[in-house]
Amino acid sequence: MSTVFDSALAELNERHRDEVLAAFAALEHGREPVPEAQLLALRDATVRRDLQRLLYRLGRTLVRAGSTHWTSGFRDDVTERLAAEGATAQSRMDRAVLVLVLVHSVAIPRSQGLVSGDSWTSAHPTSVDELTRYTQLPRGEIRPSLQRLRAAGLVQIAPPRGRSAVVDGPAYLPGPALHRLTKAARERLEHELILAAAPDSPLAAAIRARRPAPAPAPPPKAPAGQAEPAAPADETSTPERNEDT
Amino acid sequence: MSTDDTALWWARHRAAGPQRVPPASAHPTGMIRLVEPDASAVWLLPELPDNARPDVLDELGLPGVAVDQPNDTARVLAACLRCCWTEPSGPVWPAVPAPFDHVIGVFRGITGSRDERALHAAAMGAVRRLAGAGWVLFDEDTRVVRLGPRVASWSAAELSTLRELWRSLPAPPAGAA
Repeated sequence: MSTVFDSALAELNERHRDEVLAAFAALEHGREPVPEAQLLALRDATVRRDLQRLLYRLGRTLVRAGSTHWTSGFRDDVTERLAAEGATAQSRMDRAVLVLVLVHSVAIPRSQGLVSGDSWTSAHPTSVDELTRYTQLPRGEIRPSLQRLRAAGLVQIAPPRGRSAVVDGPAYLPGPALHRLTKAARERLEHELILAAAPDSPLAAAIRARRPAPAPAPPPKAPAGQAEPAAPADETSTPERNEDT
Repeated sequence: MSTDDTALWWARHRAAGPQRVPPASAHPTGMIRLVEPDASAVWLLPELPDNARPDVLDELGLPGVAVDQPNDTARVLAACLRCCWTEPSGPVWPAVPAPFDHVIGVFRGITGSRDERALHAAAMGAVRRLAGAGWVLFDEDTRVVRLGPRVASWSAAELSTLRELWRSLPAPPAGAA
């Protein structure tokens, strides 16, 4: 019926086909990353390749979350095309509020050594009070933005922690959708934040120097390859490149 | 259509919901084309095999996307269906536009006694959420509701459940348009 699915899974027997489709549904429609122990198509590297091939044809790719969970995200080349044409559900305002949550919940704790790794999820809540107190955004628009971001899974309400909930009002954490960022996307986000927050820092200069000249070459894959040879998460991005041809 | 174009169309849907395009422009592989009643545009909607649809999450015991005020949101969607789907024996798309006040009337009928202002606020919040996700199309200036392209993704089994639901709902206040 749906020819993309048929052609991507044509060589599989019925059982593996069902496993791949179930995993596809779990990753694409599910709220959180899925433990690999739960599904054969995540556990078994061969079937996982078939899942990756299906996702790839639909503009998606497998993304590892932690060491035992998987989710799906946009292919890096597809992200670039979508960003260039402005295909996004989030307004500028919503994106600005999301960045504020990321700064408070991830970037600041990371700079203090409280968060390790390169994930954009975090257990450090950002209170609404904190968002409104210093912001230059129109205050009345912050709450509706937070609601829309919550519907998109980009932020979530932090579980109340005793007295702080009473004192500061509701607090937010980055949402489960941030697990869907690929390694390249996580790095790009970090670089953009550094460029925005400290454009004169040596770090920002280094990021600019590593970027390809803006004009001809679109793929920003060069810096990743140069700087970090074969990080473990890269195993997900290698097979998909082969599928393309 | 090249495989890359197909990937891009599926990704656009993933990023920004159902895409509305000029009628003759795009024919991405594996997507349903929903023609607007006046044939001025076409909505593109991915067609998923039965065992790759969102209801698989229930079988696997995995949580789906969280919805704010899930009960009121579902009731308002039901009310929109009752008002716009005037021929429930036929297809659910494109149905017909209905005044938002009719939707509120049905919503009032199924929510029981509630303060009028709270009722309106709940209905407005829900219809905006539904419109944001493509389940309904809502024109805030004219206060007219239509079913959104996403309703065309319901399966035959889901539609027959919805037909039963439709029959159990109170009729909109006046004769709907």
